[in-house]
Amino acid sequence: MKTESPGVEAATALLRRFEPVIRSTTGDKFYPMDVEPYVRACSLWVQRPGEEAVCVVPGGKLSLDRLAQQPMDEAGAVHFLKFTDTEDLRSDSPGGRLRVFRSRAKDRKESTRAFRAGRGRLARVGYFSRFVDALYSIALLARGRVPGESAAAASVAYERIMAGQEHYRYHGRVLRQDGWIVLQYWLFYPFNDWRSGFFGANDHEADWEKVFVYLSETEAGEVRPEWVAYAAHNYTGDNLRRRWDDPELEKVGEHPVIYVGAGSHASYFAPGEYLTELTLPLPSPLARVAGAIRTFWKTRLGQYVGDGEEDGGSGYFSIPFVDYARGDGLSVGEGGDRAWDEPRLIADPTPDWVSDYRGLWGLYARDPFEGEDAPAGPMYNRDKSVSRAWYDPVGWAGLDKVAPPTETLEAILEQRADIISRCSTLRTEIEDKSRQLKKLGAELAAMRDRSHLDAPYRAGTRRVAELSRELDRLRGKLATDEAISESLAEYADRLRAGERDQARAHISRAHKPASEDELRVSRVAEAWAAISVSLMLISFVGIAMFEREHIISMLVFSIAFFAFVEAGFRGRLVNLVSSANIGLAVVATLIIFYEFFWQLVVAAVLVIGLYVLWDNLRELRR
Amino acid sequence: MLLILEVIGLVLLGGYEFLQVDWRDIDLRTLQPQAVELAVFALFIPSAILTLLSALSFLFLYRRGWLLAAIAQGLSLAVCLWLYSWFQPGYVYPIMAYCVLMILYLNSQDVRMVFRTGQQASHEN
Repeated sequence: MKTESPGVEAATALLRRFEPVIRSTTGDKFYPMDVEPYVRACSLWVQRPGEEAVCVVPGGKLSLDRLAQQPMDEAGAVHFLKFTDTEDLRSDSPGGRLRVFRSRAKDRKESTRAFRAGRGRLARVGYFSRFVDALYSIALLARGRVPGESAAAASVAYERIMAGQEHYRYHGRVLRQDGWIVLQYWLFYPFNDWRSGFFGANDHEADWEKVFVYLSETEAGEVRPEWVAYAAHNYTGDNLRRRWDDPELEKVGEHPVIYVGAGSHASYFAPGEYLTELTLPLPSPLARVAGAIRTFWKTRLGQYVGDGEEDGGSGYFSIPFVDYARGDGLSVGEGGDRAWDEPRLIADPTPDWVSDYRGLWGLYARDPFEGEDAPAGPMYNRDKSVSRAWYDPVGWAGLDKVAPPTETLEAILEQRADIISRCSTLRTEIEDKSRQLKKLGAELAAMRDRSHLDAPYRAGTRRVAELSRELDRLRGKLATDEAISESLAEYADRLRAGERDQARAHISRAHKPASEDELRVSRVAEAWAAISVSLMLISFVGIAMFEREHIISMLVFSIAFFAFVEAGFRGRLVNLVSSANIGLAVVATLIIFYEFFWQLVVAAVLVIGLYVLWDNLRELRR
Repeated sequence: MLLILEVIGLVLLGGYEFLQVDWRDIDLRTLQPQAVELAVFALFIPSAILTLLSALSFLFLYRRGWLLAAIAQGLSLAVCLWLYSWFQPGYVYPIMAYCVLMILYLNSQDVRMVFRTGQQASHEN
């Protein structure tokens, strides 16, 4: 794979020409900053297996150069930075606790004033998801997590840095790959306070986000923007990218606009509130059984299985989170509230702080799900492997199958030439095999009804059948190839005429913000979403304690009541009725089988007998 | 048509149960089992009315017809199962069998697709 970088000046000029405009959400406290002051404010630690974490370089003594030298590296060791000042959190430090307390109080006040959550995330999803969500929150107590004070302490440290020198900076890298010029904008945020600030999934120190712009180069050497890809959580592939002329992609001049998720810093193309679901898969044996039942239900019984469930549905448990990317906060970049400072270039040779530091860029919380652990740098994943976005930025956004416009026609013609040549070979092969088949057919005809040639006749019949099948396959392949060749010719003509593909043809599942209708919900629905799980559990306990005589019927009644109210609020009455009916039908069928098993067997035999009789009589009448 | 057939069936079953009771010997203190069965048959009245309404909705092509029909079938089956757990009257079995077939029919891909647009427009409510 060819990856090379242009010169420093050319790279900087390109980065600046297409640098994004970020629009954050009111209430967000952290913005893209330079890594240098961040690292200077951090201490470097190492966590070896089964041991307490050890401070390698204390706070204030770390630099980007020093970061690259990782002492005490051994199998299983995790190096990590600590941004939040532990002294600030310690009660015995002079004024430490008070400072954090004040900062938290101020943050809370400002956040409440500035940020108001929209329709509660819980009101948008079902009972089961809410129940799993409650378990997830409880699990946070047991899992490793970023301490509650960290967001406030990070805010204090960030403000301290910004007070020293206010700046908004991205880290840029320019490289060529597969005919594309890729502009990588790496945005570094000192803290992700999605959980503590915006009811999200996680908090962690340090946050690396990325936006890539893909340019094509004309023969005259001019560059043209063709595609843009924004990173959002761990999504990869085609759905991440938009074509430059896609109406969804907002631009200020030549600068793409990013709507940044509050706290999470995920990047979106349009402003709004995004429902992000953390899907937990079913254990594989259960998933297989569920899949088999679904297939039987759908294909054999011809029953309806609902929308969006055709993929087999391996993930039945999902926890909902809302990413608020409203774009009503501070904006940085062309035409925004603040301008970008000169970018920090990640040029060739790759700086040591990028290539030699494989540790985490913030606190290692030892969370088994990794959500609360800080991320690794731009080049690495948390497990120290090189990240795909670094070594294959074109493939990361699913662009590896797309040729740059200057190469598209060439690629089409080459592919057509290959197919035409393949067709020619196929035709020759078909001709040979056809001749062979005819000769074999003649041989068989000659052997027919000759008892002494029975054995070779049977072998010949088998060979004829095999050859016939092979010929059929080859003819089918030729027909398909000819159709593809024709289609390629038409495609080439369209391109020559200046026609382009649909801008959104590659998108299978676009991440869309919640619609106005979804957001318009009464306070009663939100209140119901907030209390319903607890209320249901309390009612179960009440029934178990006071209505033991009628426990089954009361439980059924209570579940039906909650399900009905829930379905009413969520507009899923049809689904509820349908599911309840199927459940009742299964029970009723079992009862009928239990009560009338032998009668049903006799009836089935009678029906089969009558059918055979009717079929035979019908044949007799012909 | 199937829904109207169901209502007719329910009415006929009710009539048959009514005729089975010996009204002259009726004693309120020791009710005949047939009288009890007839009394609980009254539980099918709401679902019969709903079924009739859904049949009319189908005739006039109201999109809510599917939901009404599905609720009616569910209600009938629930009543059948409840009666089965208490009295096990003979008439619940044919009703159960018919309801099961009706549920499978109403939930079949083709029928659901016919009503899908309307349901989507109203957020599947």
